[in-house]
Amino acid sequence: MGSVYVLTLRQLSGRWRLVIMSVLASMPVLMAAMLVRSDRAPSVEEFELVVLSGMLAGAVLPLVVLAVASTAFANEVEDRTLANLTLSPIPRWHIVVPKLLAAVSVSGPFVALSAFLTSYVAYNADLTATFAVTVSALAGVALYSSAFVWLGLVTTKAIGIGLFYIVLWEGYFAGFVSGIRILSVRYHSIALMHGLDGRRFAEENTLSVGFAVGASIVVFAGFLLLSIRRLRRMDVP
Amino acid sequence: MTTNGVATVIRVDHVSRWFGSVVAVSDVTFDITPGITGLLGPNGAGKTTLLRMITGLAGVSDGSVTVFGQPVRDNPPLYGRIGVMSEHETVYGFMKGRDFVRMMGRLKGVTDLEAAVDKAIGFVDLADAAQRPMGTYSRGMRQRMRLAATLVHDPEILILDEPLNGADPRQRVHFQVLLRQLAAEGRTIVLSSHILEEVELLADTVLLIVNGKLAASGGFRAIRAALDERPYHVLVVSDSPRELASAVVQLDSVDAVNVDPDGTIVVLSRNVRDLQVELPRLAQSASISLRRVEPLDDSLESVFGYLAEG
Repeated sequence: MGSVYVLTLRQLSGRWRLVIMSVLASMPVLMAAMLVRSDRAPSVEEFELVVLSGMLAGAVLPLVVLAVASTAFANEVEDRTLANLTLSPIPRWHIVVPKLLAAVSVSGPFVALSAFLTSYVAYNADLTATFAVTVSALAGVALYSSAFVWLGLVTTKAIGIGLFYIVLWEGYFAGFVSGIRILSVRYHSIALMHGLDGRRFAEENTLSVGFAVGASIVVFAGFLLLSIRRLRRMDVP
Repeated sequence: MTTNGVATVIRVDHVSRWFGSVVAVSDVTFDITPGITGLLGPNGAGKTTLLRMITGLAGVSDGSVTVFGQPVRDNPPLYGRIGVMSEHETVYGFMKGRDFVRMMGRLKGVTDLEAAVDKAIGFVDLADAAQRPMGTYSRGMRQRMRLAATLVHDPEILILDEPLNGADPRQRVHFQVLLRQLAAEGRTIVLSSHILEEVELLADTVLLIVNGKLAASGGFRAIRAALDERPYHVLVVSDSPRELASAVVQLDSVDAVNVDPDGTIVVLSRNVRDLQVELPRLAQSASISLRRVEPLDDSLESVFGYLAEG
């Protein structure tokens, strides 16, 4: 599995991808710094809704992960090098798991650093809050990675479909229709954040932590299994 | 499972594959035994689809493919016995040649990895370039390094899709020598090509694929004999068409002659080799200037089409 992991790590670490991720990841940090220094600093609730939920969990996190995870397989499919891996005498999960781990390894540090700095700045170095935001963001990275790795295996338009999903489902529908939140990675992350630090999103009608943890496990494992199944059945170019 | 007393390594049994309404491969059946088997056919004939089904990369719509008696699709343990080099020349450009071969060896579960890597790279004579990123390689070097990666686990079966594509004449000769050497070691090699002469030089057995169907199979001589019997149309332009036509029709190698109103002659011949010799000789003896001699149906498609119809 190490060979596939190292190969994927190298494939996903293109200069432009890293630049785009850096720019995206720096946005919530800059926003938090500006709001803290502003004369009309928002309330904690406003900050959490706009920056943590809207910008970090709703946009930066899924976009950074989409840019990485959706190409974990898509690049190989496009370059027609996937056969190098699938024609090896190893179980399919030995290919999918390291690719998923590599996607998390590349996007995770960007998102984690962004979440850490954003919350550290906004909550005046409150370590409990910072820890809750960072860990829940990392959980979001894992969930989105699992979903977008699968997406990159089933379609060559993963980026477009992923964007559509982020904007429409995670951004629009989940934001306005509370019943949909049980199927939203963004709100699973927020529920985890609330669970780790009860002061966060205290005014929000978040999902229960137990449900969020359970749903996260189902989403992560579900897409992982779907990817393995897809790799077993697909025609490899 | 044997074919004429020889163990069958690959069995393709009534295999079809369609993509929507397009039939890429239609009810193809054959067995492959050790030695070099050439899959010959024009571009788009279905060779690559067939090879992809033989390697398990693509599924069949109907029929079955077995390798060593086992279904090949979704059978990873079997892949350790097969080496596949696809027609796509894409490599990991950032990766050094040696690292690529090493990675493939590791994925294939090679135990004495470094020795196997040395052997495979030495076999394709690329030791000097092994520490360079493959993005800097020429096309031929990439092909050879890919062959090294295909051989690193010492596979019993080699499946090579258009392996000589893009190779210059020197590289072609080198490749041919390597493949013969591998076949002499008892391996089963299946290679595809749309170039008749390429397969003629290498293959012991030829499978001719036309329009997704198996048009002919057997030794190359049988295929070549069928080709030689094929009537050819040859266009001839001269300064005295009628005089030349009346002389040409007397030749043994000529079946018929037609003089067009514009003065061009179309000769129908089943023995073009003799015609090539006799026509200039005849023109010279009759003091006729030949301005143009051109085969009218020499495309591969027409050759393959003729065999398919036959």
